Amino acid sequence: MAVEVLWWLFAFLIVGTAIGVVTARTVIHSALFLLASLGGVAAMYVLLLVEFLALVQILIYGGAVAVLVLLALMLTRQAAGGEPVSLNGPQAPFAALAGIALAAVLVGAVVASSWPAAAADGPVDVPFEQISEALFEDFGATFILVSILLLVAAVGAIILARQEDAD
Amino acid sequence: MVPLENFLALSGILFAIGVYGVLARRSAVLVLMGIELMLNAVALNFVAFAAYLDPGQFAGVVIAVFIITVAAAEVGLALAIIIRYFRMQATSNVDEAAALKW
Repeated sequence: MAVEVLWWLFAFLIVGTAIGVVTARTVIHSALFLLASLGGVAAMYVLLLVEFLALVQILIYGGAVAVLVLLALMLTRQAAGGEPVSLNGPQAPFAALAGIALAAVLVGAVVASSWPAAAADGPVDVPFEQISEALFEDFGATFILVSILLLVAAVGAIILARQEDAD
Repeated sequence: MVPLENFLALSGILFAIGVYGVLARRSAVLVLMGIELMLNAVALNFVAFAAYLDPGQFAGVVIAVFIITVAAAEVGLALAIIIRYFRMQATSNVDEAAALKW
């Protein structure tokens, strides 16, 4: 079955690049791994038959967020050419322990739970029109709140990052 | 057909990797990347549940849209704060950012 093969392919891509994000030795590599990982999640949305979210994911993460992160990395770089400092703190082994324990608990819970029979039918195709109806009618108030949040965040980011001569 | 459990396990593993990134990394930008991984794992979880268990209702998909929006707002604000802090203190290391006021 082609879908299963694609699923395992993208699952390994996502997990592999996500591990790359948290273990890469340079910050730029980390950012590029993040981009690949988020692209893999977009592919997962396609496999779930929610193409709209895949497009949004690529547009926002692949475009906006990746550029923003790369820009911030370049603006906050330590003195270039210096000794490469360790990107992980001394707490890294304990963090690995916490991560592995959390993964074990989550996967164990997924395996141990019994899911409703409807889950066996596979994903249902989600048409664009019905997403927009749900977004603008059923969740209209939330949509307005989120757009206000985005506006406030954008204005706040401009005010925070602005150069101040008096400062 | 891929069973629902596969998606849930994948998103659980992705979330755990994000937790490791947030806890282990020292650079604030790298911590932010871990948070992005965690948010993506949660969105994938929501969409998987919506696609398998909730046909005809799109709450999971709509919530994923909101997660992506809030993540974008959060990245913008957090990076502005990091750049501001770097300009004042010449560091983006979260271990050194211990001052509560200056």
